[in-house]
Amino acid sequence: MAECTRNNRKMIFSKEYYLDTFKVTEDEMRRLAAEGLRKGGDFCDLFFENTSFRNLLLRDGQVTGGGFHIDYGVGIRVLKGERTGYAYSESTDYPSMKLAAEAAATIALTGKDGDNGAAFANGELVEGQIAKLIRDAKDRAAAYTPSENNGCRPVRRFFQGKPNPSADRYPMIEDWRDADTAKLLPCLNRLDTSIRAKDSRVVKVIAMITASVTDVLMFNSFEELKYDTRPMGSIVATVIFSQNGAMENKSVSRSFRMGVEMITDEIIEEIAAQAVEGIDERFDARKPKGGQMPVVMGAGASGILLHEAMGHAFEADFNRKGQSIFSDKMGCRICPSGINIIDDGTVSGNRGAVNFDDEGVPGQKTYMVEDGILTSYLHDRISAKWYGVTATGNGRRESFRYNPIPRMRATYMESGNADKESIIASVSKGIYVDEFSNGQVKIGEGDFTFFVKSGFLIENGRLTAPVKDINIIGNGPQALADIAAVANDLKLDNGTWTCGKEQSVPVCCGIPTVLINNLTVGGE
Amino acid sequence: MMESNTGKFTAEELAVARGCLKKCLEKGADAARITLNKSCMDLVGTLNGEVDKVSHCMDRSISLIIYADGRCGSYSINRFDDKALDSFIAKAIETTKLLAKDECKTLPSPERKAKDASNGDELALYDNDYDALDAAGRLQKAREASIFESTAATEHEGWKLISEELEYSDCAYDTLVLDSEGLECRHSETSYDFGAEISIEDNEGRKYSGRWWHSSTFRDGLETLSCCTKALDNAIRQIGSKSHRSGKFTMVVDSECASRLVTPILNALSGSSIQQNNSFLLNAVGKKVFSEGMTIEDRCRRKGESGSRLFDSEGVATFEHYIIEKGTIKEYFINTYIANKTGMSPTIEDATRPVLLPWPEKSLDRDAILRKCRNGILVTGFNGGNSNATTGDFSYGIEGFAFKDGKISHPVHEMLITGNFIELWNSLIAVGDDARPCMSKLIPTLAFSKVDFSG
Repeated sequence: MAECTRNNRKMIFSKEYYLDTFKVTEDEMRRLAAEGLRKGGDFCDLFFENTSFRNLLLRDGQVTGGGFHIDYGVGIRVLKGERTGYAYSESTDYPSMKLAAEAAATIALTGKDGDNGAAFANGELVEGQIAKLIRDAKDRAAAYTPSENNGCRPVRRFFQGKPNPSADRYPMIEDWRDADTAKLLPCLNRLDTSIRAKDSRVVKVIAMITASVTDVLMFNSFEELKYDTRPMGSIVATVIFSQNGAMENKSVSRSFRMGVEMITDEIIEEIAAQAVEGIDERFDARKPKGGQMPVVMGAGASGILLHEAMGHAFEADFNRKGQSIFSDKMGCRICPSGINIIDDGTVSGNRGAVNFDDEGVPGQKTYMVEDGILTSYLHDRISAKWYGVTATGNGRRESFRYNPIPRMRATYMESGNADKESIIASVSKGIYVDEFSNGQVKIGEGDFTFFVKSGFLIENGRLTAPVKDINIIGNGPQALADIAAVANDLKLDNGTWTCGKEQSVPVCCGIPTVLINNLTVGGE
Repeated sequence: MMESNTGKFTAEELAVARGCLKKCLEKGADAARITLNKSCMDLVGTLNGEVDKVSHCMDRSISLIIYADGRCGSYSINRFDDKALDSFIAKAIETTKLLAKDECKTLPSPERKAKDASNGDELALYDNDYDALDAAGRLQKAREASIFESTAATEHEGWKLISEELEYSDCAYDTLVLDSEGLECRHSETSYDFGAEISIEDNEGRKYSGRWWHSSTFRDGLETLSCCTKALDNAIRQIGSKSHRSGKFTMVVDSECASRLVTPILNALSGSSIQQNNSFLLNAVGKKVFSEGMTIEDRCRRKGESGSRLFDSEGVATFEHYIIEKGTIKEYFINTYIANKTGMSPTIEDATRPVLLPWPEKSLDRDAILRKCRNGILVTGFNGGNSNATTGDFSYGIEGFAFKDGKISHPVHEMLITGNFIELWNSLIAVGDDARPCMSKLIPTLAFSKVDFSG
């Protein structure tokens, strides 16, 4: 249970807290679920959200920008097979929610077979009808017992868990909603001062604290009720440097599912130190000669490779539709033995942590690749049903405005046996990269890219000239097959990684130092 | 307040916005600006000819910029009940007073504000037939363009159809900007969109996807039928794609994706980037930085043209002007805050509807440009990449086709282009006249010489 301090008193978020927040009763939620099912839907769920977002911005040495934002509403989804009806309301008065449920319910009428199961098409539902709609939907869902498990344990389609998670992965000691703004302002000033003190070439510092706390209440036609309070705090510094008329920039961030307690002197100092690190090299950096070459990916942020090269292609919606390059690779070897790749929602305080996903499925640690073999896709309820496997807790959404789809959480590779130095020493001519800004992938073709902010040439086993601002491109299956060495230094990167597949969700990535035999590097 | 199921503001919603402005002043703000936004969107998606998703979205929000004691904060809320708004505004004013003083944060001067946007319909961008749309009509629009059944049932040499995803949506937006000095301006617009994505597999099991989309302010203007065939054609044309050798080549960039090379230029002209020294175009106004052939005009007040706006987010009137003329930077985008902070004259906060004008001839389409350039690489899409805001260095993944003697020879993929924007735009060979009217930036086919390709 989420325990925290609000208004100087300890409180425990209980079911009543969430029902009161959304001004809704359990009976109303049950009625709404029945409204969603009344045109023949198989499953209906409600996702209530109340997000308080705040930000403070320092520019030119002063915190002159800031504010807060409230986002409140309920999303109602109806499933008919794999088809989705979705609508939302920014008001939780019953008539507005009922309109949304009615709009979502129409999905059941749009199949080739037309109106197929509208039990009570017109008029106000009475208790007996509600009970029948819910009971029938439960029966239909119960028939989804898997016959094939693709490497996962065969379990029922829908998780029948308890209302609250047994493990709270993001306990919040001090709630951002109650944070004293006056106490947060000096933190940004300290960060500004510390960065400027470390490097005389600093000409501008933009520093920002952004934080949100989201109360979530979920109910579905299995009459499962889940609730959760999700904090997210981020601190970001962007620094502009000037040297002999040339300009350079660097951005550093830290982001955690934590309360105000994440803002410590240590984290401010850590960000300040990283913000000025490697600036000499950045001014000296040149574009390399482009072409295909071995690439050593440094531990941590290089996890973007896993996110782009394979993570998206393992999201089961793409595979269900036959669009992913990995659609027919389940159970096949896709990279050398000894390699394990994981998508994990259980890392405490991590940006990708979930007690429950946004379909009410408990957060899990999912092995996608075990010993080099593809063992699981990342599932939401729809794809889990389609594949006949248990949902993996990857059904996520940006907000109540979006229906959940399979999304990554914290994606990383487990450590191997090599060490970083010997990996670099093994490359006669290549490139080492360790700082990135963004990436992208073409799901069907498998072509992925990521943009490198900084790195070094490797010449005769040694790091030599610095490089920056280059894109690297490769093909997912080929890159995985080309992994030649994995070091024993796994590191998760706690920056503000955000995945933008149709919707934005916070994620995390990590990797040990890895050598890939052949990628295409941009350059002259 | 129960939500109204229409795209335009109700009288009640307008009253809430005006009431918020009054409350801000009553509760201690010295000045305030309120922006009321509303949008209503319906979407129908199909997968392989069958409806896969229907959704209905209704959004309303009130954004507040509050000025108090020489300080300024920004806030937003999507709850419209009096009690929630009361406490929200009180807390917003209290928070504003905790920020550091910044006398540069002010409302724009009255003479700069729009005075010709009172009812939202001045630009004739709202389709009055929008409210008559029904679910059946939307389903028909989404389904009618499908080619899945006919394509899947036919044998094709060299490929088979994997999936067809289509998405039809229509949306109505309404925006009202009010401030405590009497500003009141409104913009209403409708938009109809259709997108197609088709995946195929060749005989060797390699997958390729192709996309196409169209958008129109008016329902009658939406082209759905051609989207699927174009998406399929785009997928088929990639069969057999391979990496091209590295080197310096002439690059032609299709109008479908050419705005990718213009957006970083416009970002570098932003007053905020300039003030923070985070731009590769510092001290560039009045200087010839790019090729003679680069002229970008902001044609932002065209009646019936999607993307036109009479005012920016501060309520400042837009005006048609050259942003870059014959390679010379004509202005930065300077809002009130940056103007006060830097002493520069205020302009407008951003490019509203930028149009890159044809050069050197007035009517060149893509094929004519390929013929003109003879040999090189035609870029039809970008795959990731980024640029450095302070230096203008860029590196992007690309896909497209090699061309020889003015004709496309074979598809290429897994390639990168790398360079610097100032150098790139000084190697401009041609600007076409084939910008797609449905895009927010009207950038036609472009051609550049001696671009670094890595493959």
